[in-house]
Amino acid sequence: MRFATDTGGTFTDLVVEEDDGRISMYKASTVPGDPVQGVLAALTLAATDRGLDLATLLDRGDTFIHGTTHAINAIITGRTARAALLVTEGHRDILTLREGGRIEPFNHSVPYPKPFVPRALTFEVPERLIHDGSVHQPLDEAALASIIDRLRAEKVEAVAVCLLWSTINPAHELRVGAALAAGLPGVPVSLSHQVNPSLREFRRASSTAIDAALKPLMGRYLGGLEARMREAGFKGKVMVLTSSGGMMPAAEVAANPIRIINSGPSMAPIAGQHYADLEGNGDSVIVADTGGTTYDISLVRGGRVPMTRELWIGQPTRGHLVGYPSVEVKSVGAGGGSIARVDAGGLLHVGPESAGAVPGPVCYGRGGTRPTVTDASLALGFLDPDFFLGGAMKLDLAGARAAIERDVAIPLGISVEEAAWSIIHLSTENMVQAIADITVAQGIDPAKSVLIGGGGAAGLNSTFIARRLGCERLIIPETGAALSAAGAMMSEVTGEFAASLFTSTARFDFDKVNAALADLTAQCAAFAARSGDPSRPAEPVIMAEARYENQVWDIDVALPLLRFVGQEDVEHFRRTFDAAHRQIFTIDDPSSAVEIVGLRATMRCQVRPFRDFRLDAGAATAGQDRRRSAWFKETGWVDTAIYRLEAMEADRVMAGPCIIESAFTTIVVDPAATAQRSAAGSILIHPAGRA
Amino acid sequence: MSDMKLNGADLAILNSRFEGVVRKMANTLLRTGRSGVLNRARDFSCCIVTDAGDLLAAAESLPIHVLAGPDMMARTMKQFHPVLKRGDAFLHNSPYHGCSHPADLTLLVPVIDDDGTHRFTVLAKAHQADIGNSEPTTYMGNARDLYHEGALIFPAVQVQRDYQDIGDIIRMCEMRIRVPEQWRGDYLAMVGAVRIGEKELLAMGRELGWDRLETFSGQWFDYSEAAMVEALANLPDGQAQASSTHDAFPGMPETGVTITAKVAVDSAARRIRVDLTDNPDSLPCGMNLSEACARTAAMIGVFNSLDHRVPKNAGAFRRIDVVLRRGCIAGITEHPYSCSTATTNIADRVANAVQVAIADLGDGFGMAEVGAVIAPSAGVISGIDARTGKAFVNQIFLAFSGGAASPQADAWWTTAHVGNAGMCCIDGVELDELYQPLLVKRRGFLPDSEGPGRFTGAPSTIVEFGPLVGAFDIGYGSDGHVNAPLGVRGGGTGGRADQWLDRADGEREALPACALVNIRAGDMITAVSAGGGGYGDPLSRTPESVAEAVREGYLSPERARDIYRVALDTTGHPDLSATQALRAAS
Repeated sequence: MRFATDTGGTFTDLVVEEDDGRISMYKASTVPGDPVQGVLAALTLAATDRGLDLATLLDRGDTFIHGTTHAINAIITGRTARAALLVTEGHRDILTLREGGRIEPFNHSVPYPKPFVPRALTFEVPERLIHDGSVHQPLDEAALASIIDRLRAEKVEAVAVCLLWSTINPAHELRVGAALAAGLPGVPVSLSHQVNPSLREFRRASSTAIDAALKPLMGRYLGGLEARMREAGFKGKVMVLTSSGGMMPAAEVAANPIRIINSGPSMAPIAGQHYADLEGNGDSVIVADTGGTTYDISLVRGGRVPMTRELWIGQPTRGHLVGYPSVEVKSVGAGGGSIARVDAGGLLHVGPESAGAVPGPVCYGRGGTRPTVTDASLALGFLDPDFFLGGAMKLDLAGARAAIERDVAIPLGISVEEAAWSIIHLSTENMVQAIADITVAQGIDPAKSVLIGGGGAAGLNSTFIARRLGCERLIIPETGAALSAAGAMMSEVTGEFAASLFTSTARFDFDKVNAALADLTAQCAAFAARSGDPSRPAEPVIMAEARYENQVWDIDVALPLLRFVGQEDVEHFRRTFDAAHRQIFTIDDPSSAVEIVGLRATMRCQVRPFRDFRLDAGAATAGQDRRRSAWFKETGWVDTAIYRLEAMEADRVMAGPCIIESAFTTIVVDPAATAQRSAAGSILIHPAGRA
Repeated sequence: MSDMKLNGADLAILNSRFEGVVRKMANTLLRTGRSGVLNRARDFSCCIVTDAGDLLAAAESLPIHVLAGPDMMARTMKQFHPVLKRGDAFLHNSPYHGCSHPADLTLLVPVIDDDGTHRFTVLAKAHQADIGNSEPTTYMGNARDLYHEGALIFPAVQVQRDYQDIGDIIRMCEMRIRVPEQWRGDYLAMVGAVRIGEKELLAMGRELGWDRLETFSGQWFDYSEAAMVEALANLPDGQAQASSTHDAFPGMPETGVTITAKVAVDSAARRIRVDLTDNPDSLPCGMNLSEACARTAAMIGVFNSLDHRVPKNAGAFRRIDVVLRRGCIAGITEHPYSCSTATTNIADRVANAVQVAIADLGDGFGMAEVGAVIAPSAGVISGIDARTGKAFVNQIFLAFSGGAASPQADAWWTTAHVGNAGMCCIDGVELDELYQPLLVKRRGFLPDSEGPGRFTGAPSTIVEFGPLVGAFDIGYGSDGHVNAPLGVRGGGTGGRADQWLDRADGEREALPACALVNIRAGDMITAVSAGGGGYGDPLSRTPESVAEAVREGYLSPERARDIYRVALDTTGHPDLSATQALRAAS
């Protein structure tokens, strides 16, 4: 038996997979101060569901996979360790100067961001290498020794080291690392050429500083998680999800915490791809995950999930740049909790202000007074006040209507229904624009893509989103309400390795490239031998970070071969690059040289056989289909069929308007659309109707 | 127009869709542009104007590009080409007809509906790496006139018909513009941007109806004007004037050029007026403002002083009167006076004078002065790379600061200059050393150079660099040495710009404000950027903020005591009673 959990801001999702492949889903409230408590609560639900106690359930498990926001939350709330940064002499302000750029150029109420490591704890090491790795100025050992004395006096809890050109020649960083290990025993150290070998020293320094500052805390957290799981009766492996959509043993994560900053959201595209493939739509996939306060969008193109080095903690240019490769996830402040208001000029706004989980929407009856998207869904009859979360929570319809009337309908001079519709419509538009931003940047045409609706609230407006994008088909997966946890269950043990080098197709350095490739493939093989299953052989995937000569931004291109022998291999690579550039940017430039600025290797080791991954209907009998009134713009109030998701027959086309409900989700199919359940269990919606 | 009335929900949704269109245009241009000035310095903009030329929606970009100018350019297009057809496109970079300066090549496409009616015009404007000047620079401050400057000028010249290039025009550009392949790449990126904007608007018109879009434009302008009215009502009533002086550059009087802005706020009528007529006549240099830059710079000073949420479009602009004079350096420059550097030097002085004048109207309003540009740390370096034998010429962006304090917060340090507002990117040391044979010995912020105040202006940046092997030339024009950025309402002056050369033999040589300097192996040039002015009395700054700057090494304990009157204890935290005594005594 295997367990996968994803700790979100509101809910902790759990997916349990039985040894015969049946799965089941649970949701418990997240306990922000003690995330492990939410995990254990969800596991207790699963045990109760099986008539077992927690210890007996855990005893049957062989793998526990954990997605956690603990690292990113620690950075946001400033609870990381007291870390110092050592840099090359003359470059103390590396984390302050950053890379320029700004948002909201007329907003002068936001001061310039402070560096992740204070300047007072940033020290200059007299030394200097140059672009080819040769020594311009030798390392001053005496100066280093006195810096280490200062670090001891300052009682630093972690040290990051980022020296210029260390990715080309790590000798000075390694020497500083050794001196720190000897001089400050027990204090964790992160070296930039090992953490994030990239030729952009600000990003490298930022990743390294964040990594070092997280080590003490994540070591404690993961150690505590493992100890409490053991105490509760679990004897299997504890794995943690990474930003690149794989998983790693908890102990390895503690030594490389930079790798799990986006743990959790990175898994949605893994699950999205699985479900799109099952329906034959895997080429171009938009995966949307609707939470209470954020709407996360990721993509899959030709079987690959685009990665980014531009993951910001906080707002772009104002927060901290992680710099380490992560699955590209665009997050916007839109969700069921987004608040609707009308400003002094009479304009409607939905979000980015959110009622969050506390006090939450008005209809939750927990003290919320301002109308939200969830309240609008209730007022339109999309949600059943008596069957929310399977009836676990009763919703206050009158309260929701009154708040919408007061804050939106009266100021706009329209009916409550029209006001509620407008709230859903504007929220939909905000989500559509966010999807347009990420797809245009990745060269994906939404009209030729399938939309995956994940998250418990996805079904409320995903049909409208798909229609606006021109998608022919929307898929709501069976496990859509816990998409990241489902993705976690499908994830593979993943090793990541990188090499920094610079070469150009105009003057290709065969020796340097082949040496780096040999080194990366050897590291991948060693990882597979250590962490993989020998019965399931794996192949490394090597990506080049490359660009046309003098271009500023690199793109990732899969290397077509693992060794370059002659000029024809270089030509083969550049044709691959031209094609990738054309796909993303619509143009290519075969007359310009292509530069490679780094190589990244990923080794994905499968740990479970392919399975159907079908939700266990369990004892839930086919519920009685019902009807209720729902409001749509084109019809007004209309008698609408309500179907139980679990009871829907495969491939029977249902005409809109109808509403499909389960304990975890509600799916609205408006009059123009049709819906059906696929043989694989997903709900397929055709926004323009099925021909 | 029909008597259709959209409610606040319809308005919000349509606004979101128009903003989506301009963002898509800007993303396309950013991702496909080839020159560094476009994708690294982000020196471009995309917007939509109505058929009458009124600015409706603009993507977030550097402010000097978009507030005024697109309107004038679209109107010249209509004036010179009264019959517009779908598939047309026009090149425009004439500063005498609405463009900012000749390097800002703009592509305009009229959006024509299925009945042949002109509905909107979409524009993409991008600063070119070269525009055919007589010297290899797009900022030719020493240009005596347009003929000396030598830029190719396109006053709304047709460049596409039926979606096809007019080859004559392209060939003319390729003959005259340096690095023609790169120019062609940037041109294609601009075509991609405007055509995607056109396609999206045509689809919107067909889906929603053109009348509905026209009704939206009218109501959106009214909504924006109402937001502007509300913002202006908060400003104190009255008149103020302020001056900002540009250092003497070649072609200018020895005392430099002083720009004066007279600002009048009529809070009862909810209007603001900026009068720039009392300024020197046009000069025989490249520093004269185009009408677009004079209007925009005045408006930047105004919008920097208002709630940033006011939408910047023709509706809000109805409440701003900018009064200009023909033949004036900060007014409407007439052909053939040169406007080569119209987006930076004098324009920055105009915007600064306006926001300083507004600060004089009352506490809590306006802003301090943003520092001037362009220090050698953002200069153009050229030479032969001894490592490869290849020639190179690139603008580097090693460092800049300049940010001014506002009444709400300390400065955004890396603002660059007031017209850029911090949108420009900064290069990594490693990438710059890889692409050019240079060594950056030191790069950071200069302690004790912040503009002191209740809220502080940015400190200067300081960069020390030189050739790793061989030699290179560096060209720059650095204002702000004599006239450092002023503080307001008791705030102090920010760090002044400076540059010098340390020769291999140990001799130090001061460098002029504007020069092309040859730097040989072993020499090191040091570039200090201008900082930014402070806002409010330094004695009202919170002691903890002062103490933090001392702990961080940006501020000396002496300056903390002398300027801010803050005493620190042995742990580096403020000694509150000693501070109180110091402040009471001053």
